[in-house]
Amino acid sequence: MSTGRTMLAHGRTALEPRRLAIIGIALAALAVWTALPPWMIRWEGVPVALGLLAAAAGLAAVTRGERRLGSWALALAGVATVAAIWAQTKDESSLGAVLNTGLLAATLRFATPLAFAALGGLFSERSGVVNIGLEGMMLMGAFFGIWATIWSGSWVVGVLCAMVFGGLLAAVHAVFSIHLRADQIVSGFAMNFLALGLTGYLFISIYGLQGTPPGVDRIPDVHLGFLHDLPALGGLLGPVFGQLNLLIWVVLALVVIVHVVIFRTAIGLRIRAVGEHPRAADTVGISVSRVRYGAVILSGMLAALGGAYLSVGFVGSFGQNMTAGRGFIALAALIFGKWKPIPTFGACLLFGFASGLAQRLQAEADISANLISTLPYILVLAALVGVVGRSVPPAAVGRPYVKQ
Amino acid sequence: MTEAPVLELRGITKRFPGVLANDDIHFDLRRGEVHALLGENGAGKSTLMNILYGLYRPDAGQILLNGSPVEIDSPRAAIDHGIGMVHQHFMLIPVMTVAENIVLAAEPTVGGVFLDTAAARSRVEQLADRFSFAIDPDARVENISVGQQQRVEILKALYRRADILILDEPTAVLTPQESQELFAILQELRKEGMSIIFISHKLNEVLEIADRITVLRRGRRIDTLAASGATETELARLMVGREVLLEVEKAPASPGEVLLEAEGLRVLDDRGLEAVRGLSLAIRAGEILGVAGVDGNGQSELIDALSGLRKTVAGRVRLLGRDVTDASADERLERGLGHIPEDRQRRGLVLDFTIAENVVLHDYDKPPFARAGWTFPRQMTERARALIEEFDVRGGGPETLARSLSGGNQQKVILAREVAREPSVLLAAQPTRGLDVGAIEFIHRRLVRERDAGRAILLVSFELDEILSLADRIVVLYEGRIVGEYGPNVSEHELGIAMTGGRAA
Amino acid sequence: MSRPGAEGGDGRPRTVEVLTAWFETRAGGLLVPLAAAILAFLAGGLVVLFTGNNPLGVYKAIFDGTGLTYLFPWVQGSERATAARNLQQTLLVATPLMLTAIAVAFAFRCGMFNIGGQGQYWIGLIAALVVGTHVDLPPALHVPACILAAIVAGAIWGGVAGVLKATVGAHEVISTIMLNWIAIFGGKYLFELGGPLQGEEEFIPRSNDVTASAKLPAIWGTLQPLHAGIFVALAALVVYHLLLNRTTLGYEVRAVGFNPEAARYGGISVSRNYFLAMAIAGTFAGLAGALDLLGWKFRVATNDFDVGMLGFIGIAVALLGRNKAVGILFAALFFAALQVGTSTRQLDPTVFPPALAVNLATIIQALIILFVGAEILIVSLWGARRYVRRGRRVRAQPAGGSGGAA
Repeated sequence: MSTGRTMLAHGRTALEPRRLAIIGIALAALAVWTALPPWMIRWEGVPVALGLLAAAAGLAAVTRGERRLGSWALALAGVATVAAIWAQTKDESSLGAVLNTGLLAATLRFATPLAFAALGGLFSERSGVVNIGLEGMMLMGAFFGIWATIWSGSWVVGVLCAMVFGGLLAAVHAVFSIHLRADQIVSGFAMNFLALGLTGYLFISIYGLQGTPPGVDRIPDVHLGFLHDLPALGGLLGPVFGQLNLLIWVVLALVVIVHVVIFRTAIGLRIRAVGEHPRAADTVGISVSRVRYGAVILSGMLAALGGAYLSVGFVGSFGQNMTAGRGFIALAALIFGKWKPIPTFGACLLFGFASGLAQRLQAEADISANLISTLPYILVLAALVGVVGRSVPPAAVGRPYVKQ
Repeated sequence: MTEAPVLELRGITKRFPGVLANDDIHFDLRRGEVHALLGENGAGKSTLMNILYGLYRPDAGQILLNGSPVEIDSPRAAIDHGIGMVHQHFMLIPVMTVAENIVLAAEPTVGGVFLDTAAARSRVEQLADRFSFAIDPDARVENISVGQQQRVEILKALYRRADILILDEPTAVLTPQESQELFAILQELRKEGMSIIFISHKLNEVLEIADRITVLRRGRRIDTLAASGATETELARLMVGREVLLEVEKAPASPGEVLLEAEGLRVLDDRGLEAVRGLSLAIRAGEILGVAGVDGNGQSELIDALSGLRKTVAGRVRLLGRDVTDASADERLERGLGHIPEDRQRRGLVLDFTIAENVVLHDYDKPPFARAGWTFPRQMTERARALIEEFDVRGGGPETLARSLSGGNQQKVILAREVAREPSVLLAAQPTRGLDVGAIEFIHRRLVRERDAGRAILLVSFELDEILSLADRIVVLYEGRIVGEYGPNVSEHELGIAMTGGRAA
Repeated sequence: MSRPGAEGGDGRPRTVEVLTAWFETRAGGLLVPLAAAILAFLAGGLVVLFTGNNPLGVYKAIFDGTGLTYLFPWVQGSERATAARNLQQTLLVATPLMLTAIAVAFAFRCGMFNIGGQGQYWIGLIAALVVGTHVDLPPALHVPACILAAIVAGAIWGGVAGVLKATVGAHEVISTIMLNWIAIFGGKYLFELGGPLQGEEEFIPRSNDVTASAKLPAIWGTLQPLHAGIFVALAALVVYHLLLNRTTLGYEVRAVGFNPEAARYGGISVSRNYFLAMAIAGTFAGLAGALDLLGWKFRVATNDFDVGMLGFIGIAVALLGRNKAVGILFAALFFAALQVGTSTRQLDPTVFPPALAVNLATIIQALIILFVGAEILIVSLWGARRYVRRGRRVRAQPAGGSGGAA
């Protein structure tokens, strides 16, 4: 709100700091682009010059008060110059192998489990309960999803079972953080540990050291062949959206649904009220603990869907600790997205893009798989630096509510 | 046989650990009357009303509505029985709109699911029109004045069709003029048949608005009497249980040199909006400067800026003649500033520290409490023991956790810590908020004593009585500016006008 | 403005607080941790039972594997030799656990939840490894040099999270988790085939051994013996206690942890303490990595990074030990025993498969964290339910720590 006001007060001039910063970011993007098709410029001077210009614009913006976007421009100027010079050493075909429509599809694939967990976390945190147990709830979903799929032979049963067990673990977190007023962070952390041990135990106990059998029923892809035949955009839409997993479409729909639920329905208003000022909600007759239990359990079910997508949808098997910190990245996306569904999904796409890029770079370029695997985590850190200070959580988040 | 009262409380008893908050209280409310519940802080007024509103469960006793016993075990039940309550700390969600706050939990919907924003807005407008409240349903609560927030609270009750309205210390946040407007609204509501319970510890306003008055003291009902014919002195005696000196005894001030000076101060609040807008003031040795004003007019930000806890955007602060505008809180403490903060539990004390650890909160790193980075707990204990003795802190020794002290004793620990450092300038922000008469008297006397010892004292209070009885000079703060300066004998009325922004001639 | 947090100004002492304080003093703070451990073992036993094993037999086998039977005078002969070897392992594991627990506890006392112990441990270990393999120094200097490198590296890794929290308010839980993964994948990269720190064996993704001059002396046993690092860890506990309770830094850290707003009012720089507390926490975790490396590991392989859990178990140790030095000592021994008792080498596989037991240990650890965190549960189970229902929050939250990303 306040930035908006000051901006209006200053009026819009060409050298307004915010605009400077945006120019800097654009210049940085341009620096990368010059090294890619169709330009394919093979002289370091171009990206260096553009990078310097971008840095200058960023610096100017920072010194004129636009800290956030300005520092983004500065950071991007550096990253972009390096990336462009690196890209210049590659020929068109190997660049094409990394940067193509497949990368966009991969972005969606990697963003999906994050988005399920982040949207789940959104309910929990909007209601005032911190849920760092998302990771564990994903893991429960991943394991019980595949277990029930193998047991029943149907992915539908698997997905439902995943949600049940994710919801169960969330219910434990709810009991401890709502009813027993334990520290929500500690309780959430215990959930991760508990899920790790429990799924690991059952995994070994049921499948032994060989792991889950091959040929597990998978969540199907949705084929949209007609997209390829669209006249203008077919070349782009076809490869990206033509063959996506069902759950990817579900998550896309879910983003819209969650937005509507949170901001346009009575129950959404009540959830937000409970997260902002539980006592006020209590005094008008809303049961704070009921709303919180509901929201936390729902968060576990959604996170478990993300986990089931990983195991039943994506790889068709389970591995111990296969979520690899995705629950925490989802939390970061939630903060990055300021606890709003659509921006949160945007953040998931960003982190998904980093994972997709890492995967393709290690396949196509001669970069260590391990080294490039750090990329998404580094990006999350960078994103935290850029945005967190300005991201205000629900006022009562993390505080147990006690009826008098 | 007269008509049964709309509400009757019989033998309500409520125990908290170590405290009998309500002891066999009887209370009745007649249709269309304003019944005041009078008592000092901690007398059990709010407890009783929270029981009536379903927030607490009584240990014994009965609630009757229109003659028949009812069970009120939740606010929901209270609302369903037509009881509405305006809490002392408003139950409003700052980031939501007025309309959202009012309809919350009783939302008009489309198809039972989707919020019907248009309907919510129009219903709020209708209600507001009926009582000629000027209020924008789409405004965010955090952006409207405290007075307006109170009206939103009243609208919340009306929206839920309440016919019994409880107001818990409603004038605490209002100027005298706004209080008059509130009283007019209450009269209006009373004419429409609403029955009102008015909780207060202010004698004059109780006499003004109420039809009957019930006095509580230490959890017990002392008496119920008609307002007509009652006097302030009589009520004060009933309320406190002894004769109360309504005035603080003090000699006229003999101000010395200027010790603290602010010039053209501009300070932003947490949202980045300007809360102090070009304010200048000077405090002299040996005087108490009272800052009057309604909550939210920049008091907190002013205190923060003077104490170095908040950056200023413009202006200078001089302490004992030296410019400290860019000095940290720590440096200012070193140079002779003391600060009794407005929120003792959030800022004034580390509740999980012992008293000993709390009394050295500013000096833990200096001799005799520390040398070369090492602390000496025994020295801290010694200091605490001496201060406990001098300031009559009851309820524990040096090793007691601050958390386990009562509010009055917590405040004494803070006062002791600040005064013992012998500061030249003492900032006292609402030093007696929420305390009982005994503690208030103690703190008032001590502040006067410190003034007489030559300290410059800045007193910020929302209680005009407190300002009027302590201050040697009074400035009124309105929307971040000083809108008037007065001598100690100014009338409440005159201050009240200034507090609403109207400049007195 | 309405003030959601302003209620409770009446300042009455809360029963639960009084009651909890009573338990703290009367039961020496032992009741809650003990009860939590018992509950956790009961629940873990249910899991074992559920999957068709005899919990008593399993726990007996785990206990035998811990080496604690060495303390029983009637255990003699070869059994005693085995018990001695097992006990050496338990103490060997307890050494880094004490340190990673301090890394959690110190940050916790400053109101932060440091989940980054694992990453700080790895960074410290790698730093010590570089000095231990690439630098030639006399024995008297080599070990201290390695340790110094480790604690500086650990301090930096922890300090990053501290700086992020202090400057932009990035929540330490998320940043430390990210730093963990960066340390893990970064570490694997360093020692992978063709990695910059891979050792001489061309087809094995691991480092060289540290030179003999950089190894800590053995003090008990022959095969993977207990090393002198345990004394360093014990000394660290003393340092931790003094630092926290007898220094101005400790006063500041505790004040910030309990109430950052009051600390700031008192003249304490909150952000400086966030940074310092995390950096110091990283110091201890980095030291843990160094002691493990110089004491018995001597080298590191890429797959070590996949299985390292000491940083996480340190969280359980700190919580069970109530963030107190003595508590951490015993909790570290307890969890080390659990760890060793369930390991492949010590657990009798005919009774219970170690692959399961490792996960069982994780479950028990998780439950202990959960139960210790909810002392209200324990207190109410103790029969005080009547009071508890009425009470408020049991213990002051570290205000900065659990407030989301404020």
